[in-house]
Amino acid sequence: MSIANISIMDFFYPPDHIALSAKDLEVTYADGVKAVKGLSISFPKKATTAIIGPSGCGKSTALRAFNRMNELIPGTVTRGEVRFHSKNIYDPAVDPVTVRTKIGMVFQKPNPFPKSIYDNIAWAARIHGLKGSCDELVESSLKKAALWDEVKDKLKKSALSLSGGQQQRLCIARTLALTPEVILMDEPTSALDPLSTASIEELTTELKKDYTIIIVTHNLQQAGRISDMTAFMLLGDLIEYAPTKKLFVNPEDERTERYITGRFG
Amino acid sequence: MQNPAFDADVAAIDELMVLMAAKVEEAVLKASHALKTQDVDLYKTVKNADGEIDKLQLQIEDHVIELIATKQPVASDLRKLLSVFKLAADFERAGDYAVHLAKATKLFVHEPQWHQLERIATMADLGAQMIHGTAQAYKQRSSALARQTALLDDEIDHAHKALVQDTLAFLMQYPEQAERATRIITLSGHLERLGDHMTNACEAIVFMVEGIHADLNE
Repeated sequence: MSIANISIMDFFYPPDHIALSAKDLEVTYADGVKAVKGLSISFPKKATTAIIGPSGCGKSTALRAFNRMNELIPGTVTRGEVRFHSKNIYDPAVDPVTVRTKIGMVFQKPNPFPKSIYDNIAWAARIHGLKGSCDELVESSLKKAALWDEVKDKLKKSALSLSGGQQQRLCIARTLALTPEVILMDEPTSALDPLSTASIEELTTELKKDYTIIIVTHNLQQAGRISDMTAFMLLGDLIEYAPTKKLFVNPEDERTERYITGRFG
Repeated sequence: MQNPAFDADVAAIDELMVLMAAKVEEAVLKASHALKTQDVDLYKTVKNADGEIDKLQLQIEDHVIELIATKQPVASDLRKLLSVFKLAADFERAGDYAVHLAKATKLFVHEPQWHQLERIATMADLGAQMIHGTAQAYKQRSSALARQTALLDDEIDHAHKALVQDTLAFLMQYPEQAERATRIITLSGHLERLGDHMTNACEAIVFMVEGIHADLNE
């Protein structure tokens, strides 16, 4: 079968292969702007899905809705469902803090705590109840984030002394320390140079063996390089969702075509 | 909606491609005319044109490589560039066949009994029609015209088979004419291949426009 002929049905994932799914998800901000309009989408397990779209299309808002981060923005109203392990994470009985450990997030700008490299990882784990030595956790998290070799001899140094790319990998290590299943990434390389970007991209390829990754990116080539599935959003709507190879060779929707070929707006 | 920088580059490639196709079509028609009229001098013209055709192919390829390297095209832009690459190669081969045809004229001068040359010339005219149709289909981004053009390949194939059979029968009767007879068969084979190359080019145009791999050689 040719790449161009792959249909979404060939990539139908049975329910136990879905890590996270949204149904009729709507997010409205305090000023009445509806940023996400009835989004329904399923993310396959242990795969990377990229969400692309022009600024203001609702992709970052949708991403934050996947681990209840929008609740931290006053006046935001979320409707619909986000299902994780067959439970709606918006169910009143669900604790949002637990949700955010299982569905972690990495942000656009590296935001390490102004503490040592060691404490950046140990601190979050301690808050979540880890007692005793954190040495093992710090080492394994840094190894998973491909940072251990670079920092093992200076764990007590300030995290802020690291380069941008290293800081971002530290933030990923901090997320991994909480043993998440899904990692949400909101333009994680937009503040990084090409080499640091390459290291983060390589890392996501490694991490998807054990985790489900959903990444919002403005960099279309990045979506092409690292993702298995790509979702294109426009003005709060999901326009097209397809295997990345299909979407970048022969998109179904004219609006997708115009956006990815740089002819939109 | 436009992507002006990219579209201007593609327009420049379009111009080169149309020019290249026109030169190839002209070369095939001239070769056909040379065979029909025993005009040996036309060979030089066709040979010189082939040098220009080869240069145009390289120019087109360079454009495509630069665009892929600098603009990272996707979707229809990517399909367009990849199809252009294939088309240029197919046109270049067609130009080579025109040279072979024109070159053969020398062998048949003062040999008016070789009526097979008329049939070769007719096949060459069909080939020129395919080249013309392919170039138009590309220019107009018309997969329908590409599909229609590829149908001409059947006519060339039939003509080729019939000519080979007749020439073999002739060869058994006049074995001393083996050199010229085998040359007729070779030329017929070249034109059959020319038809195949234009069919491939038409398939590339369908991929460019529709994003599907069509088999137009059925």
